Amino acid sequence: MRPLSFLALAVSLSLPLAVEAAPPLVLAVGGEPETGFDPIMGWGRYGNPLFQATLLRRAADLSLAGDLATGWSLSDDRLTWTVTLRDDARFSDGTPLTAEDVAFTFNAARDGDGLTDLKVLKEARATGPLTVELELRHPQITFTGDLATLGIVPKASYGPDYARHPVGAGPFRLVEWREGEQLIVAPNPYWYGPDIPFPRVTFVFGAEAAGLALARTGAAQIVAVPPAEADAAPEGMQVLHVPSVDNRGVMFPMRPAGGRTAEGAPIGNDVTADRAIRVAVDQAVDRTALLALAVNGHGAPAHGPADGLPWDNPEDRLTETGPDAARATLAAAGWTDADGDGLREKDGLEAEFRLVYPASDSVRQALALGVAEALKPVGIRAIPDGRSWDEIGRLMHSEPVVFGWGSHDPSEVFNLYDSGFAGRGWYNPGFYENPAVDAHLAAAEAAETFEASLPEWRAAQWDGTTGFGAKGDAAWAWLINIDHSYWVSDCLDLGPIQTEPHGHGWPITQGLPGWRWTCE
Amino acid sequence: MIAALTLASPVRRDLLIRGGLALGLVAVLLLAALALPPEGPPVSALSRNLGPSLAHPFGTDSLGRDMALRTALALATSIKVGLFAAVLSTAVAVVFGLAAASHRLADRLVGVATELALGLPHFVLILLIAYAAGGGMAGVILGVGLTHWPRLTRVLRLEAQTVAASDYVAVSRGLGRGPVWIARHHLAPHLLPQIVAGFVLIFPHAVLHEAGLSFVGLGIPPHLPSIGVILADSLRALMAGHWWVAVFPGTGLMLVALTVERFGEALRRAADPTEGVA
Repeated sequence: MRPLSFLALAVSLSLPLAVEAAPPLVLAVGGEPETGFDPIMGWGRYGNPLFQATLLRRAADLSLAGDLATGWSLSDDRLTWTVTLRDDARFSDGTPLTAEDVAFTFNAARDGDGLTDLKVLKEARATGPLTVELELRHPQITFTGDLATLGIVPKASYGPDYARHPVGAGPFRLVEWREGEQLIVAPNPYWYGPDIPFPRVTFVFGAEAAGLALARTGAAQIVAVPPAEADAAPEGMQVLHVPSVDNRGVMFPMRPAGGRTAEGAPIGNDVTADRAIRVAVDQAVDRTALLALAVNGHGAPAHGPADGLPWDNPEDRLTETGPDAARATLAAAGWTDADGDGLREKDGLEAEFRLVYPASDSVRQALALGVAEALKPVGIRAIPDGRSWDEIGRLMHSEPVVFGWGSHDPSEVFNLYDSGFAGRGWYNPGFYENPAVDAHLAAAEAAETFEASLPEWRAAQWDGTTGFGAKGDAAWAWLINIDHSYWVSDCLDLGPIQTEPHGHGWPITQGLPGWRWTCE
Repeated sequence: MIAALTLASPVRRDLLIRGGLALGLVAVLLLAALALPPEGPPVSALSRNLGPSLAHPFGTDSLGRDMALRTALALATSIKVGLFAAVLSTAVAVVFGLAAASHRLADRLVGVATELALGLPHFVLILLIAYAAGGGMAGVILGVGLTHWPRLTRVLRLEAQTVAASDYVAVSRGLGRGPVWIARHHLAPHLLPQIVAGFVLIFPHAVLHEAGLSFVGLGIPPHLPSIGVILADSLRALMAGHWWVAVFPGTGLMLVALTVERFGEALRRAADPTEGVA
C-alpha cells in the first residue's frame, strides 16, 4: 500500500471510533485470496468463506454442527448423504437458498479444476425443495469435511464474474474489494443468524509493516503479527497467541536414489532412505530450542501431522530422545565414524544430505539451520539450502525439505501418507509407501461414522508394529506447531477460539459473527 | 624508502597511506574469513538478540549467531565478489578500449554498447543479468561483473585514441617501429595507471551492488553471511530495538567501500599527468 493512501485510510478509519458504540472493525490479518471469493475455486478451504454459508460448520472445539443443514445422515452402504436444509436461508440479494443451489454447487465443485477436490462425488441431486442427496463413488468419511468447508453459491446468478462479486447466504456481503489494498464487508441483512453489531468490517491487505503501523495508531482492532514482534503490543491492545496445527517438519525422500519423475526430477536419496537416519533426526532435534529460534517460543513441539486433534495417536512418540539416543540408533544401524572426521559413514556412504527450505520463509530457514546444528554432534551433516518454490518442486523427491501442513480434516493425513499420492503434487513427494498404512487409511475412509474412523487414523500412525509415525517408518521428522499471534483491541471480545489450521490470519475470522464490542 | 617517503609529493604520500589502509583492511578480512567456517557462526537458542558485550562485541542476531564473526565473513564475501567483479569489468573495459583504438568499426560498436549500457539504470541492468543467470552466487558475480565496464571503457578508449594520434607515435612509426613496440612503449605506460585506478574504483561500487542484490533477495542464499542479507534481516530487528544487528555490518560495509574508494581516488590523481607523479 502506498504511504499516502495508508495514511488517508488510517485517518478516515480512526475518526468514527470516538462516536459509535460498536465501531466499524478494521482487521489486518492478510489472507487475501488470489483467485477471489469463489468457493468452487477453493475459497474458504482454510478458515471460513465469510460470504457463503456451508452445510455444516466446525464449532470452536472442532465438532461438527449444522449450519444450513438441519439434519444429515449417511446411508447404510455409506455412499449417499441425505441433507435437510433450513427454510429461512436467503442469499444476500434476497433470493431463497434451495436444494437446487446446493446440488449445483457440489456438482460444479466436482467438475471444476480449482483447489476443491471433490472427485469422490458421483452426483448431487435435489430431491425436494429442502432436501439434497449427495452420492459418492466410494465410501469416504472425510467427505464430511467438505460439507463443512464448501460454501453454497446461487445457481441462478453464478457466473464467471462470481469470484469478484460473491453472493452467498453467509453472515456478510461484499461492499468493496480493491485488490492488494482492502476488502470491505457489511452484515448480510438476510442472514439467518443473530445480529452482528459491527456496521462494517474492513480487511486491510499489504505489507506486514503497514498492519503493525495501523495497530500502533489505533486504527486497526486485530492485526496478525510475526511471533518475533508479538510481545510488544501497543497501548489498548493485548497479545493473543492462538494454538494451531500449523506445523512444520522435515519431509524425507523414502526411496534409494535412482529413477526420475515424468518431468525429469530425480527420485530418492540413499542416506534418508535408511530409517536409522530419519529416526536419528527425530531424536537429535531439541524442539524447545527450535521453538525459541524460529518463533520466539510461541508454539508447541510437534510429533505428528495433527497433534492434539482427535485422529492423532500420541502412542507413536519415541521414548528415547536426545543426542545420545540418536548416536545409539545410528551406531546400531552400522553408521560409524571410522575416519574420525566427525561425520558418520556406512558402506562408504557419508551421512550427509541437503536440507532444503524456501528462501523466502524466515521461520523455515531458522528451522533448517537449527536442525543442521543439532545434527552436527551426532555425526550427520545437513547442509541448509535456500531455494525458490519452483526449485523445491524439482528437488523435493530427492532431498529432505522443510514443509508445513495442518488441517481440521484428517483427509490431509491420507494425502500425506497414502501411496496413491506418492509423487503427486506437494502431498507425498518423498514417495512414502507402506501397504499396512494404506490399509488403515482406506479403512478409516470407509468407516460408517466419523467417530468410527478415528481408531483407523490412529492405527495408520502406529498400530503396534508399523505406521508412518516416528516409532514406525518415521517418514517425516515433525518439529513444531506455530502459534498464530495477534494484537487484539482490549474492547473486542472474540469468544471461544478454535485451534487454527495452516495459514496465519484468515482463520481467526471463523468466529467473526459472534464477536462483541465491550467498550462504551 | 624512508627518504623516498619524506621527499615524496603530498599526492604520493596520500597514495601510500590510503593504499596501505585499503589493502590492509581487505587482507585482514580475507585472512579472517579463511580461518572461520564458511557457513558462519552456529545458530544457538540460548544466545538470541544479545546486545554488544565482551563475549559478542557486535552482539548476536535473532538466531543467536555472533554478529562480529558474521560481519567479518559477510564483508569477506562482499570483497571476494567485488574483486572478481572488478577483474571481470576491467578486463572487458581493456578489451573494448583497445579494440576501439585499433579499428574504426570496432570503435563505433564499442561506442554504441557503452551508451546502451550507460543508458539503462545501473541497478536494473544488474537485476536483469542476475535474474537471467539464475540468481545465487553466480548470478551476483555475473550481474555485478558485467555492468561496471562502461565508464572505464570510455576513459581507456579516449586515452588510447589520443596516444595513437600523437606526434611521437607518428615519429616512432616513421622510424620503423612495429605496432607491438608502440603498444609496449607508448600505449602501455599511458593506459596502465588508468587501468589500475579504474579497477580500484570499480571495486567499492561492486561491493555495494552485491549488498544491494542480496538485500532484494536475488543474491546469496539467506542463511549464508552477506551484508545485503544481514541488512534485509535487520529491518525487523530494528523495529524491536536491536540496533546492533544493522549498525555494525552497515558501518563495516561503509568503511570497506570508503577506504578503497579513497585509495582509488588517490591512484587516479597520481595517474593524472597534470597533477601526479606516476
